[in-house]
Amino acid sequence: MTRAPLLILTTALLLQPACAWAQRLTLTVSQSNIAFVADDPDSTPTIASAPIVVTVRVQQSPGPWHLSVQANGDLLSGASSIDATQVTWTASPAPPFQNGTLNKVVGQTMASGTGNVNPAVSGSVVFRLANSWTYSAGFYSQTVVFTLSAP
Amino acid sequence: MRIRLATVFGALLIGGMAAAAGAQAPSTASTTMTATVTAMAKLTLSAAAQTFPDANPDVVPQVTAVQGPIVITAKARTTGASQVVLTVLADDDLRSGLQVIPASAITWTATGAGLGGGTLSKLAPVTVGTWTGSGAWSGTQTLAFRNSWTYSTGTYTCVLVYTLSGP
Repeated sequence: MTRAPLLILTTALLLQPACAWAQRLTLTVSQSNIAFVADDPDSTPTIASAPIVVTVRVQQSPGPWHLSVQANGDLLSGASSIDATQVTWTASPAPPFQNGTLNKVVGQTMASGTGNVNPAVSGSVVFRLANSWTYSAGFYSQTVVFTLSAP
Repeated sequence: MRIRLATVFGALLIGGMAAAAGAQAPSTASTTMTATVTAMAKLTLSAAAQTFPDANPDVVPQVTAVQGPIVITAKARTTGASQVVLTVLADDDLRSGLQVIPASAITWTATGAGLGGGTLSKLAPVTVGTWTGSGAWSGTQTLAFRNSWTYSTGTYTCVLVYTLSGP
């Protein structure tokens, strides 16, 4: 009688392409400086900066995304300060961009949406400083951070 | 008969399928925000002239202007806690041809934070108000003319110069 060893070999091979759908978030801001020159508050109650362009690209992200802006503090000139909330902005197109008020404590939404943004979308943003006689004369500065995230 | 039965199950997982599927760290960009606030001062007076009508010195020893109190609005931007000062100076005594009434015949009282009374001078500016730091202030100044029988008749004039200044 023939000996008939029977070998049954079953192999399951699962191949998963490495990180094939990793998110890609790209954020660019057209200018490294946003400048205000505070003229006579009576004639210029609000001072507008030159427009900047903020460009957002979101790839391979089916969920929500969010662009926020936050000041690292108030605008400072030595011991003098101008509250960060005195700065507002207008942004277009809306949506995904939206207007807002700068804050040093919590990031404020400048744009948001869901899903991919590809090709990238660019928004025109104009910051405005509320002018006042109460400001001390000086040169004020502060860092403003833009953050694009997709939780 | 011997039947050898060998069954092998192999499962091979390759790749990172169990790993978190590529959530990327937030993308950030920073800009510097700057504001240039220049020092400036702005002064507004509600009246460009003050007129004191003729009156009997016995009945009206202090004559007030027909225009009433001057509303003073002072605005200034200065550095830190620097002092802002408002002064007034007469360019000369009150004159009517050759006749003279001393500028000091004009006095004033004032209302409003930082404002005070005083006596006009043609020699040196007299302080009308002082404030600390930047801001906008307002109040009133009521001028009075000291009446006297000794004055010659006539229409007397002089110019008052108000100066708002900071450091």
